[in-house]
Amino acid sequence: MTKVESWKEKLANLMPPDLAREIDIFETQIELRKQGKIEEKVFAETRLRRGVYGQRYDNGQRHDGVRVQKLRLPSGGLTKGPETVWDAPGMMRIKIPFGGLTPEQMEVLAGLSEEYADGISHVTTRQDIQYHFVHIDDTPSLMRRLAAVGITTREACGNVVRNVTACPLAGVCQDEVFDVTPYAKACSKFLLGHPDTQDFGRKFKIAFSGCKQHPCGLTSMHDMGAIAKKKVVSGEERRGFEFYVGGGLGAVPYRAQLFNDFLPQEELLPIAQAVARVFARLGEKRNRARARVKFLVANLGIDEFRRMVLEEREKLAADPRWTDYLSRLHEWTEKPLKPGVSSNGSERPAGFDAWYATNVYHQKQPGYVVATVTLPLGDITADQLRALADIAPRFVKDTVRTTVEQNIVFRWASEADLPDLYRALCQIGLAEPNAGTIVDVTACPGTDTCKLGIASSRGLAKKLRAHLSEASLQLDEAVKGLRIKVSGCFNSCGQHHIADIGFYGISRNVNGYTVPHFQVMLGGKFKDNAGAYGLPVGAVPSKRIPEVVTLVTDRYVRERQRGESFQDFISRIGKKEVKAMLDGLTKVPPHDVDPSYYSDWGDPREFTLTDMGVGECAGEVVSQAQFTLAASERELFEAQIYFDSGDFKKAALTAYGAMVQAAQGLVKTQHYDISDNEEAILGEFQQRFCDTQLFYDKYAGRQFADYLFKARDALKSRGEVGEDLALRRLQEAQLFIDAAHNCYKKLTELESADRASVAGTASPGEG
Amino acid sequence: MDLQRINVKFFVADADGVALTDFIHIFNSWIQASDGEYYDIADYNHVHAGPGVLLIAHEANISMDATGNRLGLLYNRKQPLGGGNIEKLYVVFRAALEFCHRIENETALKGRIRFRGNEALFLINDRLLAPNTEEGFRAVRPDLEKLAGTLYGGTEFALDHNHDPKQRFSVVMKTRRAFDVETLLRNLGSPRARLVEVVQHSSGSSETTR
Repeated sequence: MTKVESWKEKLANLMPPDLAREIDIFETQIELRKQGKIEEKVFAETRLRRGVYGQRYDNGQRHDGVRVQKLRLPSGGLTKGPETVWDAPGMMRIKIPFGGLTPEQMEVLAGLSEEYADGISHVTTRQDIQYHFVHIDDTPSLMRRLAAVGITTREACGNVVRNVTACPLAGVCQDEVFDVTPYAKACSKFLLGHPDTQDFGRKFKIAFSGCKQHPCGLTSMHDMGAIAKKKVVSGEERRGFEFYVGGGLGAVPYRAQLFNDFLPQEELLPIAQAVARVFARLGEKRNRARARVKFLVANLGIDEFRRMVLEEREKLAADPRWTDYLSRLHEWTEKPLKPGVSSNGSERPAGFDAWYATNVYHQKQPGYVVATVTLPLGDITADQLRALADIAPRFVKDTVRTTVEQNIVFRWASEADLPDLYRALCQIGLAEPNAGTIVDVTACPGTDTCKLGIASSRGLAKKLRAHLSEASLQLDEAVKGLRIKVSGCFNSCGQHHIADIGFYGISRNVNGYTVPHFQVMLGGKFKDNAGAYGLPVGAVPSKRIPEVVTLVTDRYVRERQRGESFQDFISRIGKKEVKAMLDGLTKVPPHDVDPSYYSDWGDPREFTLTDMGVGECAGEVVSQAQFTLAASERELFEAQIYFDSGDFKKAALTAYGAMVQAAQGLVKTQHYDISDNEEAILGEFQQRFCDTQLFYDKYAGRQFADYLFKARDALKSRGEVGEDLALRRLQEAQLFIDAAHNCYKKLTELESADRASVAGTASPGEG
Repeated sequence: MDLQRINVKFFVADADGVALTDFIHIFNSWIQASDGEYYDIADYNHVHAGPGVLLIAHEANISMDATGNRLGLLYNRKQPLGGGNIEKLYVVFRAALEFCHRIENETALKGRIRFRGNEALFLINDRLLAPNTEEGFRAVRPDLEKLAGTLYGGTEFALDHNHDPKQRFSVVMKTRRAFDVETLLRNLGSPRARLVEVVQHSSGSSETTR
């Protein structure tokens, strides 16, 4: 019988070494958490930064419509974060920078969804892919299999730079200034794991767009947005970006503000780094609701924010990565699989014309088109994704991307191939027309799987898709082009603010019951890179939302003036009139007359808010010092493994390394930019924590600090390391790390006391 | 090969007017009747030939699955099983059939759904443990033959291995004679009786009828 290898062994030569190492570290962190050696708050943020997210009911209970059931999960009290049971399935978010996918990656993604999730890959509104119902113990294997095809889940969640998005038409768009893809890729790579992006109070989202007028990049709603621009400088045409900061949706949407109307391409990455440093230093850390960069920009004012960023930029040490990629931009140019041939009048299969009308975009390159594969609610089955991986090399090679509208696009298809491509898509049930129309409703996961969901966004989206799909052939052209977007709560992951017709889930108490409702938002603008945000016009029971869509769109068709946009129409008739129009839909009949109002779409349970949990959207704010201390624990664990395998020298060396790392963690509390240089760390530690006696133990004095310095001296003397010495070093390292934790606790207590004293001075009347 | 993550699917023979969404209500009633065993329901009736409607649990997921455009009950065992391979096969096939039986007798469906007892899909949901190879099939075949022999009460059967290397390891088990779910359950016997039989099998009892 052949021995079954692990994925780690099997893929050892296929994974990039740095990714492989990161996953090994995460696997060790899982083990340490199981042993209770990592604090749950630190572990929660650690796993979030690996894309391992919580899911609804992971606090171990679920309302079944009648009562709350305690779920049978054999975790034995083990948690993977505050109120998050270890064995509860979770969500895995996979970063797909600018949405770019190869057939090989699609095939792997398909297989992983079958083996570790529920057989579905879900394309998100940020071009990511998500799996649901994944067990945390499976995540290292899952990550290794992704790493082997060049995908990382690192920093897919948590208070970090999230997936960098870009227009899916970049490089082929008729209106773009230039292809932003290589810039998005460089930015994503440069900021991933960068030390300056590790200490944010909240997440940070970046988007690139090739033009200003189209919506594909949605730069206005991002923390940082870059729109391609060219400028003639000293007679030479130069590339750069119209550069924006401080946008964001969420409960309180902000439009991004212009930072620079022409940021030269050479300055893109250094300015991004400087923005990150200012955000890390000055951004809110305690109040999550005010911690996005949009609040910082608003508080400081764009001029002051810009001044601080530019000042920070001046201080940065030059980094070759800022511009290295610019000399290789030409390498990015995509090469089509086949010559571009216009449609030659070949036979068109049934249904082709309707699909062609909505799902095909003519590229700027003659004879080539982009074909959109419409995914209902962003979902694709394993068989379909695998089939797409087979279809792609027949028609377009590897020029496939996910979109923020939760679809997939095949770029560089020869127009003459479209009937065959359509037939291939028909065979796998993916030839649905209506991409980018009112039928193609976007929705976040909502109550299906999200802990924060209030109402069923996917249930409603499904209903609306069915409702509008039936009527799609009869829909007026002006209505067909509208966008509907649904979020399960005010946090707007479904991007309801930028839809012509948007909805977000809320609840209302009626007749002693909690009834699912949606807040109706009208007049948002998807075009012009998310050009305007919609206005809330009233709450309507969930079950009557399809009627809202009919009512509003019918009136628009009836009363619109020549060439009047939907936004202009809503603005002309006014919020009061719109509200009056919806009034008839807001009444909820008594429960005994129509109980259907009291449950949500696609969910037979009587509606309740009991299942809402604590969101992990932002994660816990965990300082770099805490992360570094946790890393020192992990390193000590590895030292223990070397010891157990009889490699005493390596054990002693690693134990010493763990102590240095713990010292570095403490130094970071006072000197954030401390380098990884051992001598520099020890020097700073001596000066800041030993000379000041901050590290001293009440009873043991400087004994624990001495362990560190003695270990260094012993290593310098290069003496033999036997079992006894290695064991002693391990024990000393453990005591040193414990002392470092105590010292960190003392520092945070001192800081809290300082804050309280300042607050007391500022408002003496309180309390 | 140590069989784990075993999946079994029994196909629907007749589902007169039963929609996938009906199972959202049925599974919800199962949740209400249980005590924390089931975690959640996932509804994918909007995708073509997909996983359908799933009842998620820690030990195993149960779903009315439409993969391959064929509706059936899929039992997806997630947690490891102890014992020898043949014991594990009995446990998983019995569990799948019991759920089929439960669905056939579901009051809300009024007897409108029946499963085809003469065909089952066996699948290992783990490409590491069970690469989809001929060697893997050779390793599993004797145990599957023993199981099929008992399941189909000695009737001739065929095992058809899907060779597509991109797919997970799977075998379709088929016999010409029609069987209903109750007969299959009876053929498998009670779990206790089955254990005794398994011990006899493992100590080298007779070959199956194939």
